[in-house]
Amino acid sequence: MREATAERAQTANPYLVGLAAWLVPGAGHLWFGRLFKGAVFFVALPVMYGIGLALHGRIFPFELGQPLVALAALADFGIGVPSFVARALGYGSGNVVAVTYEYGNAFLIVAGLLNMLVVVDAWDIALGRK
Amino acid sequence: MHSHLLLLLLFSFFVSLIFAVLMRDDAREQLRFGGLLFGGFIASAIVLGWVMYVFPL
Repeated sequence: MREATAERAQTANPYLVGLAAWLVPGAGHLWFGRLFKGAVFFVALPVMYGIGLALHGRIFPFELGQPLVALAALADFGIGVPSFVARALGYGSGNVVAVTYEYGNAFLIVAGLLNMLVVVDAWDIALGRK
Repeated sequence: MHSHLLLLLLFSFFVSLIFAVLMRDDAREQLRFGGLLFGGFIASAIVLGWVMYVFPL
């Protein structure tokens, strides 16, 4: 499998791999034939994001006047397409008085940050480092 | 779903799963590392919980 991955990495554009991995969790690993890893990321990260939405978490807006909110927004968007879909469907407005609001935020933010790590890993594979 | 413990277990499970699969290649090592992370999450949460009980902020 490593040889096949190395062959694909030689022909793959790392920027394109990074973009795909960001937009669809696990896509970068699936691209290189790492099916198990890709499948786990593809399922687990959106599920985690969905739990965050179900717990009334908020997808934060990019408000540069509030640096912490902007950082949370950056983390939220780290998951890629699921965040766009959630927003388009009207989810992620957050309910600050819900008991689970902060839990929801933790799930949303951490799912996005974990996907960023997954993107970096896919990037490393594309460059032949792994 | 308002159980803090259940949410802690759920969160720990997902984070441990992603880290284990991301950082280890062998299935056996993934299981070991994931289990270690999961146990660490739970143990540290329980310890911190009791510390906060004794020394409330």
